Amino acid sequence: MDLSRRHFIEAGMGASLAGAVGVSFGLSASAKANSMPAWHLGYANAPAGGFDPAPMKLVFGTPPSDLKGSLYRNGPAHFSYGDEYASHWFDGDGLIHRIAIEDGQAVHQARFVETRKRREEQAAQTFLAPGFGTLGDESYYVESADDTNAANTSVLMVDGELLALWEAGSAFSMNPETLETKGPKTWRDDLKGMPFLAHPKVEPDGRVWNLAVGGSRVGIYRIGTNGALEDFGLVNIGRAAYIHDWTMSERHLIILVQPWINESLRPPVVAGFEWQPQHGLQMLIVDKDDFSNQRWTQAPARMFFHTGSAWEESDGTIKFDVSFYKEPILGVGGGAAEIRGEWDQSYFSEEGVLTLVEIPPQGDAKLIETGIIGEFPQVDPRFRGKSRNLVALASGASNTRPGSTTLAVHNWTSGETKAFDFGDNRIVEEFLFVPKSGGQSDLESWLVGPVLNIKAGVREICVFDAAHVDDGPVCIWQAEYSWPLGFHGTWA
Amino acid sequence: MTRLTSLTAIVAVACMITPVANAADLTVNVENIAQTKGTIMLGLFDQATYNGDGAVNGASLKVEGTSVTAEFEGLEPGEYAVRLYHDVNDDGEMNTNPFGMPTEPFAFSNDAKGRFGPAKWDAAKFVVEADGTTHTITMN
Ligand SMILES: [Fe+2]
Repeated sequence: MDLSRRHFIEAGMGASLAGAVGVSFGLSASAKANSMPAWHLGYANAPAGGFDPAPMKLVFGTPPSDLKGSLYRNGPAHFSYGDEYASHWFDGDGLIHRIAIEDGQAVHQARFVETRKRREEQAAQTFLAPGFGTLGDESYYVESADDTNAANTSVLMVDGELLALWEAGSAFSMNPETLETKGPKTWRDDLKGMPFLAHPKVEPDGRVWNLAVGGSRVGIYRIGTNGALEDFGLVNIGRAAYIHDWTMSERHLIILVQPWINESLRPPVVAGFEWQPQHGLQMLIVDKDDFSNQRWTQAPARMFFHTGSAWEESDGTIKFDVSFYKEPILGVGGGAAEIRGEWDQSYFSEEGVLTLVEIPPQGDAKLIETGIIGEFPQVDPRFRGKSRNLVALASGASNTRPGSTTLAVHNWTSGETKAFDFGDNRIVEEFLFVPKSGGQSDLESWLVGPVLNIKAGVREICVFDAAHVDDGPVCIWQAEYSWPLGFHGTWA
Repeated sequence: MTRLTSLTAIVAVACMITPVANAADLTVNVENIAQTKGTIMLGLFDQATYNGDGAVNGASLKVEGTSVTAEFEGLEPGEYAVRLYHDVNDDGEMNTNPFGMPTEPFAFSNDAKGRFGPAKWDAAKFVVEADGTTHTITMN
């Protein structure tokens, strides 16, 4: 952690920031009018039409000449109609961003996913659809999972097709250039309307695996590099555990059955959760070549949202990194207060701890806790399912506002953790690994991700050298405006 | 025996005659069918049968365009509702995905919609008048 470096960045950007505050439109203006705290920009509505492509300004450093591609991101971005607020952060409509980077330039654009929920609520200018934390209006019909689809959690690129992901319904196909919505994705006629988790696992060669979760029944998708469904199978996980993410090694799918049970899955979904730690954390290990070849292992009770990735040792030991909580967070009310601009230090409950799970060839799993707090663990896409060094996290906490303060990178090989603390003025989101051109190991990669500069009221995209995050950003581009906090992204 | 037989005969004749006396015809148009193949499987229900399996009457209608029409004759005037699905692959079943959600189009009279289940009787019911009724369902 290098505070002086951070202060240098603050000082260096001062002049341009002052200008940016003046021209930031819409979001920050309304936030101020409502006397919301500055951090509430992270939970303020994005403009209904999204954002037309706009160049970002380089405000710090020198962009790597080999950095070329697009950072696509998704996140809830509509939280209020008049004085009426969404009941849960997870129920905001998905806004798909593209930050196209080439020749040292960054251009931002964004569009909402045109789901039925989005269309009808925008037309009525009120909340109608039931959801994760929302009961919904009686007049709003629900005949399929996609009638409540918020398409707000992540994105996936398969064979040039951009998909906006939720977890309880279909993926939505999007135009990767214009970000216009095409419609729900049906992988096969008999799988129409099946859920598709927001955490697909992409093998280094491009093959995609994902899950469909329906209570104790879990579907497994295998999608080829040509975007076609190669296989679909069903396994039973015994109980209706909440599954937001899972993990995968080269040979196995590892489904974590956390003891956070929801039998009803009727809206508001969040009201149906029950923490049953007596079950411990059970894990189903499924052979990727034969879904009927399964084994179970277990660990002490933990709750989680996100894993990094798994790998296997030569003796068959499976290891993976994950952000574990001792008990559930974001239960009833979680994320709802922030939308209304309410937050104080008492909102701190449990924090995710970066943990290495070791599953021996036989017997119970072992948890090795690092003590590093953080969320949104990410690994180099070249090493998904394989042995590697690094995992990156949005880490740290502020005592003045919600959200992370720090980008942390832990090296499992050396045991070393490097971090860059942005301080109270910037909220750190998920950073993605982008391989350096010609690089061979994950130590040779960039980390690219967004921060919300709450002091200036604008968004920034930062690039770090993954092996030296403690040196601070390599470069920062700044938008003239803000957009709300999101969840996950992909680099393509 | 004779008496019974004659009674039966009287009842049978009465049954033949009575509905004709109150004959109510119903025409159901189904429009906006997305795929020109398969069969529209249509069930006509009264309140007593609506939530069960047995329909009062039914029709299977080959899809050769974007609409089909079912004709019912000699109905008792009163309240009815229609449930239908488009058997696109003609396997005689309303296909579902592995989690039990329909993968073939379906609809109810009044274009009524359900909320986590089929449309309710009150939303789907309509009156078949003694002098005949035409009801149109628009698929979406
Ligand atoms: Fe997630």
